[in-house]
Amino acid sequence: MRVLVIAEHLRGQVRDVTYELIAAGHLLGGPVLVAAIGSEPAALDLTRVGVDEIVHVPVAGPDFESDVYQQVLAALIADRRPDVILVGFTVNSIGYAPAVATKLKLGFASDVFALRQEGETIIATRAFYGSKVHAEIDFPGPGPVILMLRPTVWPLAAPGGAPKVTEMRVSLTASRARHVQFAEPPKADVDIGSADFLLSIGRGIGEKEKIALFEGLAEKMGATLAVSRPLVDAGWMPSSRQVGQSGRTVKPKVYLALGISGAVQHLAGMKASGTIIAINKDPEAAIFDAAHYGAVADLFEVARELEKLY
Amino acid sequence: MTPTRTTFEGLAPWEVAVWYALVVISTAVLMWGIGRLLLKYRHGWRSRLSSRQLARGVARAALSVFSHDKLRRRQRLAGTGHLLIFYGFLTLFIGTVILAFQDDFARPILHFEFWRGNFYLVYSLLLDVFGAGLIAGVAVMAVTRGVLKPARLNYKRVDLGEAKFDRSRYVVGDWLLVGALLYLTVTGFLLEALRIAETNPSFEVWSPVGWSLAQALRGAGISGAAASDAHLAVWWLHAVIALAFVAAIPFTKAVHMLASPANLAVGNERAGKELPRPAAATRPGQVGYAHITDLSWQHLVSLDACTKCGRCHDACPATAAGYPLSPRDLILDLREAAEGSIGIRAALGIPPRYKEDAPLLGEVVRPETVWSCTQCMACVSVCPVGIEHVPIINQLRRRLVEQNEMDATLQKTLEAIHTNGNSFGEPRRKRPRWTRELPFAVKDIRQQPADLLWFVGDFASFDPRNQRVNRALARVLQTAGADFGILHDAERTAGCDVRRAGEEGLWASLAEQNIATISACEFKRIFSSDPHGYHTLKNEYPELGGRWTVIHHSELLLELLESGRLRPVKRLGYRVTYHDPCMLGRYNGVYDQPRRVLEALGVELVEMPRNRSNSFCCGAGGGRIWMKELRPEGVRRPSEQRIDEAIALGGIDYFVVACPKDVAMYEDAIKTSGHQGKIQLRELSELVLETLDLPLDSTAETGKEAS
Amino acid sequence: MKLVVCVKLVKILGDEVEFKPDGMDVDPDYLEAALNEWDACALEEALLIRERLGAAEVVAVTAGASGSEEALRRCLAMGADRAIRVESTAEDPLSTARELVAAVTPESPDLVLCGVQSSDSVQGSTGTALSELLGLPCVAVVKKLEWAGSGPATAHRELEGGLIDIVEVDTPAVLTIQTGINQPRYATLRAIKVAEQQEIVVIRGPSDGPPAYRIRRMFAPPKGHGAQMLEGGPDEIAKQIAGIIRERLK
Repeated sequence: MRVLVIAEHLRGQVRDVTYELIAAGHLLGGPVLVAAIGSEPAALDLTRVGVDEIVHVPVAGPDFESDVYQQVLAALIADRRPDVILVGFTVNSIGYAPAVATKLKLGFASDVFALRQEGETIIATRAFYGSKVHAEIDFPGPGPVILMLRPTVWPLAAPGGAPKVTEMRVSLTASRARHVQFAEPPKADVDIGSADFLLSIGRGIGEKEKIALFEGLAEKMGATLAVSRPLVDAGWMPSSRQVGQSGRTVKPKVYLALGISGAVQHLAGMKASGTIIAINKDPEAAIFDAAHYGAVADLFEVARELEKLY
Repeated sequence: MTPTRTTFEGLAPWEVAVWYALVVISTAVLMWGIGRLLLKYRHGWRSRLSSRQLARGVARAALSVFSHDKLRRRQRLAGTGHLLIFYGFLTLFIGTVILAFQDDFARPILHFEFWRGNFYLVYSLLLDVFGAGLIAGVAVMAVTRGVLKPARLNYKRVDLGEAKFDRSRYVVGDWLLVGALLYLTVTGFLLEALRIAETNPSFEVWSPVGWSLAQALRGAGISGAAASDAHLAVWWLHAVIALAFVAAIPFTKAVHMLASPANLAVGNERAGKELPRPAAATRPGQVGYAHITDLSWQHLVSLDACTKCGRCHDACPATAAGYPLSPRDLILDLREAAEGSIGIRAALGIPPRYKEDAPLLGEVVRPETVWSCTQCMACVSVCPVGIEHVPIINQLRRRLVEQNEMDATLQKTLEAIHTNGNSFGEPRRKRPRWTRELPFAVKDIRQQPADLLWFVGDFASFDPRNQRVNRALARVLQTAGADFGILHDAERTAGCDVRRAGEEGLWASLAEQNIATISACEFKRIFSSDPHGYHTLKNEYPELGGRWTVIHHSELLLELLESGRLRPVKRLGYRVTYHDPCMLGRYNGVYDQPRRVLEALGVELVEMPRNRSNSFCCGAGGGRIWMKELRPEGVRRPSEQRIDEAIALGGIDYFVVACPKDVAMYEDAIKTSGHQGKIQLRELSELVLETLDLPLDSTAETGKEAS
Repeated sequence: MKLVVCVKLVKILGDEVEFKPDGMDVDPDYLEAALNEWDACALEEALLIRERLGAAEVVAVTAGASGSEEALRRCLAMGADRAIRVESTAEDPLSTARELVAAVTPESPDLVLCGVQSSDSVQGSTGTALSELLGLPCVAVVKKLEWAGSGPATAHRELEGGLIDIVEVDTPAVLTIQTGINQPRYATLRAIKVAEQQEIVVIRGPSDGPPAYRIRRMFAPPKGHGAQMLEGGPDEIAKQIAGIIRERLK
């Protein structure tokens, strides 16, 4: 099972999801070929257990551009003929992987969180209906398959190994979508990623005016306030406070979730926390599956009581 | 000597001519003013008023005006004062008409004189007595405004925050009216006294006030010619002002003498209770009240009927909680816009001016003001002149919804109602889940016929605290052997608050769906434990084809108790108070049934200070429970103020409610008001269940009653 | 000036589920339907562009069975000018893109807006696949869009962690729109009823090409170990929580 992994990196740093893809590829048997696409591919740390070969593909710009990755991936597939191509289910990858699958008429699935093999057949598991049901899928076509794997599911491949390093040059047409610059999100007053204790609030708080209540409670308890996506979408809180797949991934000692239902994207950002305590009015809330402790209660009442204790 | 007197005594013929000329001028100005007002009303939307409706309206208006029932309600002093002014003015007016009739018609044309003898004596007495009453009434008003200064009359604006506002014009206008009436009655009596003092005919003792004053004048040496000269002078001083007063009626506060009874006659007696369907000819997007000319002509009349009495301001729960809404100021702002664009002020070019097509929302009325209303009808119910604040606000809301100017939370709720058929955004299938913990199955009335169709409602189906109430009611009904069924997951939000929030189309859609579902079932009557659902099913669904007998569960419980099908086993000796839900009480007049149920349970009922039609809204209605908080820091919510009111009664065990929104609002208010532990909440059904000596809930939540 | 928006009517599952006898899909009785939240943002963005530029035709397109016209009605009610449905049974994003192309290509749009993902299948791929079939550049996960009506557009992509990647893209282009870019306007029932009178053009898709994947079986996810549930009133729960926190932060 020849596996091609497209490394994902940002500003010179390889992103964790790449190491997860390597681990997944290794579990499929391999050989695993990792492609490093960038202006300085040699500077990217891809020497990991499970990697058999690293292909450097030097391109003009250091940063991601969808046209570049599209063309390179198509070239890699033509040249190296992998059976499976693994990319992360990430903001960058969804900008090119489906296009390549379409162009080359390949098998394709996104947000895959489990893989197994039956002989030469790959069987992937993904969720449907808003993550409420799972399904096993396979790929009847003859050609290779592009799989976009869900981040934080596979372990990180450990440093080590002695992969072969090669280079491939691809002649590219001009990008139609060009990276101009990065813009930092508004400076966070706190870095939720480094906090030991996070108090996280979600849609359950109801209205913007209630946030002050929880800011006060967090302060009293010595916690840092974090939020789930809906509060950022509504413009109530800056994205620097957002925990989740599209926000920050956090691993505090204690994660206290109030009024958070436990959508898969949120869980991805905090399920590695030491102790997860969840309060939600709905006994069926998904967060109770991921939490260590839970209570079906009115979060305002519990918050009021907590405030009395601190 | 025959008791009578000569009119125009002492006036030269040219002076009489001048008088009549002034009458003509005064009348012309009055007519122009009235005509201009009628023209203003014609600018409004030509809503239909049948002659039958008008006849009933006139009868209603006459009853209200002559009995002064609304004016005397809750404001005894001011009401009595106005009663005296009204009857005084009316009597004096009729007196003048009688005199004019004789002088200008009966004598010259019919050669008939009746204003003499006993007729004259009785006439004189009545006019004196009622004239004195008028002065007393005016004195009451002056003292109220000038000395007592109640909050409702201070014209403070609650919706402008710290912004400056100047309402001195209103204050000046108020005092001018009071002053004018006082001036006219005092000069009138003075006139009478001077006339009597001239020759002192003995029969004039039948004018007691005039007679006494005359004696005092004669005692001071004023009689004969001196009195006669003074009389002439005062006569002109009185006459000119009197004619000026009459001419100025359409331009001053005195216009309410015409506009208020007119408004009572042309108003809609079902205002607010049955909201109107949109007019068929509306252009797409032209929904609700966007401009002043969108107002119905009746609503334009009502703007002029307002006397700034402040009763609505006093009664409004939003105003009491510091929301940016005062019903009085809303009406006054609309009046200013009407006057400044299509009214008398516009015709005379007096600022402030408004453009006829100026958008009301934003320029005249702020959207937050319109959204603050809970549609509780306290204002409409207490207004003595029949102003319909609630339907006006509803029409403004329809416009706001159309323009998408609403809270994000309200928008989300409306979308959830459209997609899921309930305001909680829960899947449809979850609706009947509250029945699972019952020891028996609740009939699915779509499959099996039943006597009673129970329309459960959103809050009762999905809110955990209310699910317990539902189960209590179900167990009570089961024990009584009542044959009932529910619509299970086919029930949709009844739509009462959707309509009152201004999403008329969604209400109609929900109603159509519910009507179709219900019509396919077999039953005799519908009952609801939710006053909101009860109200719209009973009063507003018939217009769309849903015509059934609809009752509230308190009425059903009373039936079961009185017929003996429910027999109290345990007598509850609690001391309770009862909160009249807006939708049950003010909207539908169901005050006694819940009280009689409580009586049958043996509890001691202590009435809330504001009860029955004066009940104080919990703040959830009109869709407000789906909107964000508008209350400034530090002010108590309406529901918290209500609990304060209950606590002040002393020693109350239970605050009893009969509405699921009240259950939710007051359970919360008991906690947040700081009175937790001092009072508990019970819904009516829960007390009935207790009286049957059945446990409150068979699920493991009995320990959580108080929390 | 033409803006095409691709929308999907998503199926919403409650907390209970039953599967069809063949085990390959959910019993439709358990599903409710609504316009995909991301697509509503995409349509709103198109309407805002129209308002900013003064004039543009906004066309809403969907691929599905007749029931999916509900999504188009909502778009028309929000203010779209026209709506087209491609009759299709495609399920996976690549097949769906092939169907959509039949409606989008003839329109020769200046911009094609899609939602980043649908809330039910969360594939995140249809827009990008469509861009390949249209031969247009694609910018995915757009949080902010600036465009003068001609020439390149400037799109702000929101990367994980909040970092913004500012991209300049030649138009015509395909953009996938992220929630939070705007607040989709409310469509009143009155407007939806008016939209029900509007004609929706229905065309047949190519219905060719292999699906991207094939479902073998669908099943309810195994319940996790689950949380240890705390009992009692809010005060007791709070005490227990405080105790746990104190213990874990030692």
